[in-house]
Amino acid sequence: MAAPLELSCWGGGWGLPSVHSESLVVMAYAKFSGAPLKVSVVDNTWRGSRGDVPILTTEDNIVSQPAKILNFLRKQKYNADYELSAKQGADTLAYIALLEEKLLPAVLHTFWVESDNYFTVTKPWFASRIPFPLSLILPGRMSKGALNRIILTRGEPPLYHLREVEAQIYRDAKECLNLLSNRLGTSQFFFGDSPSTLDAYVFGFLAPLYKVRFPKVQLQEHLKQLSNLCRFCDDILNSYFRLSVGGISPAGQEMVDANLQKLTQLVNKESNLIEKMDDNLRQSPQLPPRKLPTLKLTPAEEESNSLQRLSP
Amino acid sequence: MSLVAEAFVSQIAAAEPWPENATLYQQLKGEQILLSDNAASLAVQAFLQMCNLPIKVVCRANAEYMSPSGKVPFIHVGNQVVSELGPIVQFVKAKGHSLSDGLDEVQKAEMKAYMELVNNMLLTAELYLQWCDEATVGEITHARYGSPYPWPLNHILAYQKQWEVKRKMKAIGWGNKTLDQVLEDVDQCCQALSQRLGTQPYFFNKQSDGDPDRNKTGRQILTPERPAPPRVSQAISLQMPHTPWSAACGTDEVLAIRK
Repeated sequence: MAAPLELSCWGGGWGLPSVHSESLVVMAYAKFSGAPLKVSVVDNTWRGSRGDVPILTTEDNIVSQPAKILNFLRKQKYNADYELSAKQGADTLAYIALLEEKLLPAVLHTFWVESDNYFTVTKPWFASRIPFPLSLILPGRMSKGALNRIILTRGEPPLYHLREVEAQIYRDAKECLNLLSNRLGTSQFFFGDSPSTLDAYVFGFLAPLYKVRFPKVQLQEHLKQLSNLCRFCDDILNSYFRLSVGGISPAGQEMVDANLQKLTQLVNKESNLIEKMDDNLRQSPQLPPRKLPTLKLTPAEEESNSLQRLSP
Repeated sequence: MSLVAEAFVSQIAAAEPWPENATLYQQLKGEQILLSDNAASLAVQAFLQMCNLPIKVVCRANAEYMSPSGKVPFIHVGNQVVSELGPIVQFVKAKGHSLSDGLDEVQKAEMKAYMELVNNMLLTAELYLQWCDEATVGEITHARYGSPYPWPLNHILAYQKQWEVKRKMKAIGWGNKTLDQVLEDVDQCCQALSQRLGTQPYFFNKQSDGDPDRNKTGRQILTPERPAPPRVSQAISLQMPHTPWSAACGTDEVLAIRK
């Protein structure tokens, strides 16, 4: 098809072409089926602001969810499931449903609800890629959406407390990972030697969980024990994504991560300091303001002072 | 339930054999029960029949509120109350009856996957049809759901339930789906199930835990016993071509549920 296909999705990190599961599913499927997809990363633009990412744009259409995008690609004759039998196609649907029911709540929880992970990794990462002032609103909204989804679908009685819901969803996720590992066995892909839709979905859900470095890692630890699933992710990354990660070498990526961490720590320290100062001011006795002889800094000195404080 | 509580319950369950007076509670069959609840109830009945465990069905208007998890059906066995198919299967397994012992790991994984498919697609579609499609809601659901209660409670409860279901649909991304998209998903799901079944009498050659779940929805859609919502008749016409699966639902009905 001559029409150019453009995909807007969240960017990559930690060795992955994208950190967002759904974007990764679409990118993997495009690689498997040979669709010529031009990937434009939503970084510091307003396009991801509606939260609908990934979005596929062609000349006439805009398609928005992964399932619909995959259907659209299939209609354009980019079909990765060509060699599957009818039963295998049915199995694909079933396993995708299993992933969405059992694994997705725990993945959402690990990324967006678990406070250590959210505040140290997810929020800074997404906030740094969304323009101000949306960076203050959108990550919070995505986090609330994730929590909402978990509570509405899994938080029904007799589980009344969030702790019990969390325990249940992690248990289900571990069981799901075990089932996937059993199903994969020692073969390279789920259905024989060539990758299909199911491989794209499994890769999309597992790869961020496998690669992103979190403080609270119970699900990641469990995944790392299932060596065939780890090997599956690594194989796909090496064979299909090695050349198009965007040219950032692993060393460069780590440097960027280290800088981001330092900046985050500095900002946190500054905000703590400001809070302490604020507390001190509030607690100090209320005296009428008197004119203190202060040294007025010249504008140039003030500017150099503030610059020194912000640089890492 | 926490792990400790579950282990405790299975120990108690394992201690006693299945009693003769086990009862299953559901809503009133003629006037109140809705499509999705009826399907769940049939699934449990089919499962217990397949395990050869006697069960008596009792209809109560407030069954939904009696249930420990808020969902019907639930069974009352000895001095324990267990609701929903998943926990009931585990409970029955703790008592020593299981249909899935002969399956290997890969088959168990497939069975769980197909059960999730049925729950994810078909059950959600049923809920959508019942509560988010205005025509059905107006004609059938509101009237049936609130029928045992006096005015204005019948309207209030029906609207409350509708609001809850709509919230859930929005959270999982079905809020913006049109009816045609939902029917397309149902069609895809039925095709998948039909292809998995092929020409076998059961999904995994002999009866397994997953069969009742799938047969319940098939039978539900095919049986004209209850007034089917108008859109569901449309869905029925989509499913008719999938004969192996419809035939399997038919045979199970003859074997198990006719009493």
